[in-house]
Amino acid sequence: MDRIPARLDQAPLDALRQAVGGRWVLTDPDQLRTYECDGLTGWRAVPLAVVLPSSTEEVVQVVRICRRSHVPFVARGSGTGLSGGALPVEDGIVIGLSRMREILRLDLDNERVVVQPGVPNLEVSRAVAPYGYLYAPDPSSQRVCSIGGNVAENSGGAHCLKYGFTTNHVVALTLVTPEGEVAHLGSAVPDSPGYDLLGVVVGSEGTLGIVTEVTLRVLPVPQRVQTLLAAFPSTDAAGEAVAEIIAAGVLPAAIEMMDRATIEAVEFAMHAGYPDCGAALLVELDGPQSECEALFGQVVEICRGCGASEVRVAEDEAERALLWKGRRGAFSAMGRVSPDYYVQDGVVPRSQLARVLAGIRELEGRHGLKVANVFHAGDGNLHPLILYDRRSPEGPDRAKRLAEDILTLCLEAGGSLTGEHGVGRDKVCQMPKLFSPDDQMVMHRLRRAFDPEGTANPGKVLPTPRLCGEHPGIYRPHPLELSGAAQRL
Amino acid sequence: MTSLEADLEALLGRDSVTPADGRAGPTPAPTARPRSAEALAEVLALANSRRLAVLVRGGGTKWGWGRAPGRCDLVVETTALNRLLEHEPGDLTCVAEAGLTLGELQRLVASAPGHHQRLMLDPPQGGDATLGGVVATAASGPLRARYGTPRDLLLGARFALADGTLARTGGKVVKNVAGYDLGKLLTGSQGTLAVIVEVALRLHPVPPASCWVVAERLDPQTAQAALAALRRAPAVLSMAELLWPEGRLLARLDGAPSACEQQAEIVRALVPGGRLAGERETDELVRMIERRPWDGEGPVLGISVPVNRIGELLALAAVGGPVAHLSLRGTVGAGEARLQAGADPAQFAARVADLGGFVSWHRGGDRDSPPLQPLDPVAARLALSVKRALDPHSTLAPGRGPV
Repeated sequence: MDRIPARLDQAPLDALRQAVGGRWVLTDPDQLRTYECDGLTGWRAVPLAVVLPSSTEEVVQVVRICRRSHVPFVARGSGTGLSGGALPVEDGIVIGLSRMREILRLDLDNERVVVQPGVPNLEVSRAVAPYGYLYAPDPSSQRVCSIGGNVAENSGGAHCLKYGFTTNHVVALTLVTPEGEVAHLGSAVPDSPGYDLLGVVVGSEGTLGIVTEVTLRVLPVPQRVQTLLAAFPSTDAAGEAVAEIIAAGVLPAAIEMMDRATIEAVEFAMHAGYPDCGAALLVELDGPQSECEALFGQVVEICRGCGASEVRVAEDEAERALLWKGRRGAFSAMGRVSPDYYVQDGVVPRSQLARVLAGIRELEGRHGLKVANVFHAGDGNLHPLILYDRRSPEGPDRAKRLAEDILTLCLEAGGSLTGEHGVGRDKVCQMPKLFSPDDQMVMHRLRRAFDPEGTANPGKVLPTPRLCGEHPGIYRPHPLELSGAAQRL
Repeated sequence: MTSLEADLEALLGRDSVTPADGRAGPTPAPTARPRSAEALAEVLALANSRRLAVLVRGGGTKWGWGRAPGRCDLVVETTALNRLLEHEPGDLTCVAEAGLTLGELQRLVASAPGHHQRLMLDPPQGGDATLGGVVATAASGPLRARYGTPRDLLLGARFALADGTLARTGGKVVKNVAGYDLGKLLTGSQGTLAVIVEVALRLHPVPPASCWVVAERLDPQTAQAALAALRRAPAVLSMAELLWPEGRLLARLDGAPSACEQQAEIVRALVPGGRLAGERETDELVRMIERRPWDGEGPVLGISVPVNRIGELLALAAVGGPVAHLSLRGTVGAGEARLQAGADPAQFAARVADLGGFVSWHRGGDRDSPPLQPLDPVAARLALSVKRALDPHSTLAPGRGPV
């Protein structure tokens, strides 16, 4: 971008109003503040305007106006992202996709559903449930978060251990390129010709264009789901059980671990009836009844063999919901026991779990802050919650340093910067810890192939010297989180 | 000796350069066989600076896939990059150099004490295919029904651009959203964007037991209806191969012995004429699946259709039609067809396109013509723009692949 306007000139503003209708262009400062951050509230910026198009054609017009006027744009779904991927650019506009929330077609003979990007994740499963299907990716914010946002961040969820991530379930999409053209990538039918551009666009955090239509793969609902909660004396013992379950060739739908600090918070806040123990594992198996039952017995035995003092098996859907209740409510429970917390999203190879958890305990001591661990153990995706008090003089800084040290620990163990929250703005300056200048240069070249002018979500994913002198603010809970509609994991 | 050969020998040593021969195309080209990723990158940089056209070759088992390259001045072979770098059984992942063959990888990962794992890919001529080649051609086989294709199992990659830049994408953990997923872009790019030098892959445990269900002389509509029922049945199919024109369905179920048997019974009941295959029969079934449709003359096409139109595709493959043999992953709607020697591939491609499907070259046929089905024009422009961004001088396999 050569020229960046300090405010939106009258001409592009008029053009935007003409493109989408005056009432769908927001410029009132109070309204704009609603859009100043996503679920990662430490980063805030007020955009010049928010535009709410209702169709692919309108998105095309808006993007073309941006391009002509050299105005950067940031696409936004429901704003539940946790990496600042939808953080506005101060000299740009936000293109909100929330009006595009129709489920366009069900083609269940081919196990496909076509949706607009603003459709909430859970709505897809609801729409196909009467026919015996589900949409597998299930981020914790699934009641609110949009499919478009899921595509941008390649969202996961507790059940992606078995079923994979958004990228494994999106088969085609319509992309409005940063140059304002409409590309159809992928196909409802497998093996479409050409480069797998679809695979690059999924997870590109809105930097390669705006997705305006998505074709999803849905799956038949499994015949049987079985869930257990096992109480272990320590995270080491629970980690050993995870390793043995995987080594035995069992691929559960989900394996979630909670440490003592998490269990205590959950009990204090919501009385989920969890056992008093050093670590709890929540294991869920699904599939054909025959397979499920054969493997479930094996999992129970492994847990007992690894020192589980208690194994609770859900006998029905109500009991299953109860076992999940504590896990699902863990983050909000943390708000009841600590004034503030910061959530990290790191990944380690499964075999390094015990080592990294021990490392985190050591860091707790060194930084003088408590860390609660609740995470997707099956795929090594850690969500350490760093508990601090922003009113204490060094609290926020210490929390930030501890969070960074945990990430370094993950990378040293051969892991990754982010398992499901994305790089966004939050981790853009940490990218060099994982990727060499050459790695980043190749990504940059790819980005410019889609977006030669650099108008699509600038400042996200790839670091620039200008960006990385700045520091994020401290964590403040998102309104959605406070209302209990969404959680941060 | 040409000056190119002399320069390559100076770079790599005499043992790593084969003088020009004609196997890569109409004009003879030498073959360089670098022993490290760094040396391979240097070879590419040299070729790039001289504006030479480079074809990358692994095991050579998919040499005939895709469109024919326009020209070739140098073949770069990856087969000397053949080490398994990491295998952590507890993580169900491995990292290997791109020239390691799939057969060798399977042998190595199966031998880890206390674990019995494998890479769940079974592409045609898989034993001799290299990992880099399997990824670059997005090749898969019957196991795709359950485990997907290379795109689903590739966790990360190291690759060399034409200008000699070595870079990485992804990582070696199963869950990772840091940066663009260039692994997806390289998968199926047929050596036109970069040369893959290292891959990180997801492994799976080898299931303790397998059961087979077989049906014969199915007609197209019955087969489609049976597959529709199977897709919704409480049974996880590892394979569901339709072999045509003889009307055969071969379904495999894997897992704990009791679970396997129960699911096989469910499958058997849903397929007209279905029966459980005896243990002695299974080797023969596996061989049959491997041979088909490659044995025999005639061009072979990769083929895919919507699953609710499988019946119409099977009807196209009736005796006396253009198709000699069809192998189709019945729950996915993708597979291969070998055409009769005299059949017109373009006409057949048009019939498949009418069903909403796609075809691509795997062996023989008119590989010099434009793609059998046109791409979306804007997607094609983006693809060209990506090609130019990564390989501005079109050093890598010019004319091959999708653009």
